[in-house]
Amino acid sequence: MTEITITGLNAITHPYLEVWDWRIVIYLFLGGVSAGMLVMCSIANLRIPKHPVEELAQCVRAPLIAFVILAVGALFIIIDLGKPQSLIWGYLTFQPLSLMSWGTWGVPAVLLANALYILAVVPKEDRHRLRLPFLIKLSEKLTSKMRTIAKLNFALGIFLGIYTGVLLSSFAAIPLWNNATLPILFLVSALSSGAAMIVIIAKKYEIKFLFTKIDIWLIVAELIVILLFFYALYTSTAPYKKAIEPFFSLTSEQFIFAMALIAIFLLLPLALRIKLGELKEFEGEFHGEFTKSQILRMNFAAGLVLAGTFILRAAIVYAGQLTKLSPY
Amino acid sequence: MPKYVMVIDVEKCIGCMACVIACKKENNVPEEHFRTRVVEEVRGEFPHLRMELRSELCNHCENAPCIDACPTRASHRAKDGTVQIDRVKCIGCKACILACPYDARYSHPKGFADKCSFCDHRLKEGKKPACVETCLGKSRIFGDIEEPKSEVAELLKKYDSSVRLEFAGTRPRVFYIKKQFAGGL
Repeated sequence: MTEITITGLNAITHPYLEVWDWRIVIYLFLGGVSAGMLVMCSIANLRIPKHPVEELAQCVRAPLIAFVILAVGALFIIIDLGKPQSLIWGYLTFQPLSLMSWGTWGVPAVLLANALYILAVVPKEDRHRLRLPFLIKLSEKLTSKMRTIAKLNFALGIFLGIYTGVLLSSFAAIPLWNNATLPILFLVSALSSGAAMIVIIAKKYEIKFLFTKIDIWLIVAELIVILLFFYALYTSTAPYKKAIEPFFSLTSEQFIFAMALIAIFLLLPLALRIKLGELKEFEGEFHGEFTKSQILRMNFAAGLVLAGTFILRAAIVYAGQLTKLSPY
Repeated sequence: MPKYVMVIDVEKCIGCMACVIACKKENNVPEEHFRTRVVEEVRGEFPHLRMELRSELCNHCENAPCIDACPTRASHRAKDGTVQIDRVKCIGCKACILACPYDARYSHPKGFADKCSFCDHRLKEGKKPACVETCLGKSRIFGDIEEPKSEVAELLKKYDSSVRLEFAGTRPRVFYIKKQFAGGL
């Protein structure tokens, strides 16, 4: 028998010790969706033939929406800072070992590249909407560089998607997060949610269909990586094994995490099932027109993916803070 | 330069918590937060019980994960080798709090991260940390390990010592001697 008497040290006994809360969850979720969207719309824009240049951009609104999503996400991490007025200090140095420093520099870099992408894909007939003459001129110049900018945004999207996971996995003190599969899991879920978001916002039927197909692979990959993530922790040493306990106990105080895991394994396979149904229905006899109910079904499946991604991130952020490397 | 360490003589701790109070008073530690604590661990089956009292605080690690995690260099190594926080540079991102395997840090209500500083303001005046000065059982011993005749150097030569979570690889500068229980927490 071992009994330890101490001023409580975890978020369950003293909620003020919960260091990262819903604001970080929203940041990680929105950052992931934005990263996935950048990668996915770059794939769509790079798939089509190299010329004529003017007709290149297939995925036009996605970069703008990804920009807004990331900007809102960044706002949430700023309001999470204890002293946002000191943020300037983050830009007076770069600390290569600090993932926060990578984020401090990385997120504005992604936003900048994303802004160029928005201008590069504006269709000729819509350029007047930019209003400011210098933006119109810049847009004209960037259009011919669209492919290069799309490649840059693809790479930065991968960086942002994986960064959200590496940020958590860099904390050796937190066994649930300190796992090399977490960045992969976050990347795959970011790509999947990005594909889902594009399915929702796309007007072109071929884009909706393309990303429904891509998302099938991504959901399968995500489910496999989730299993690997838990298996890696289960086969590890005591603190790591303890870290996944909340996910596998319906009777404990933390049953909410078991519920989250169940929800993920209901939502994602359901989305997969619906998408596979769509694939079977449309493949071969797809003529580029969907009915309203078919679009509704596609959007519903995409919504399930987004909900699954959000629950996954929220559960990992909160559950991680329940177990530290020390036994109390 | 000195290399400050703290030695905790576990046998001598009487659990009076005077160190906790002295620290709070000396450093204006806000309500509900602590820079140090005393852990009371009981092992065995009644009536065969054994107890260990153990002070815990920032370990001023030589391989400090909090310094690596800090994006602004607010968490830094001072010239005397201790780990300190520059409150002006701290943006309150809380990465250091999560990075510390010892739960030694907390988020100060004013927004910055805070933790034990080995009372660096007292060290500059040639005094010992408040917890060491006030320790009734003389369980907390502080000094320069580079000074061969210092009490800490003598104790560490004389006794086997251990550090918390040695496997974490952080190389703490708070050493425990005469521990009741094998296996570090």
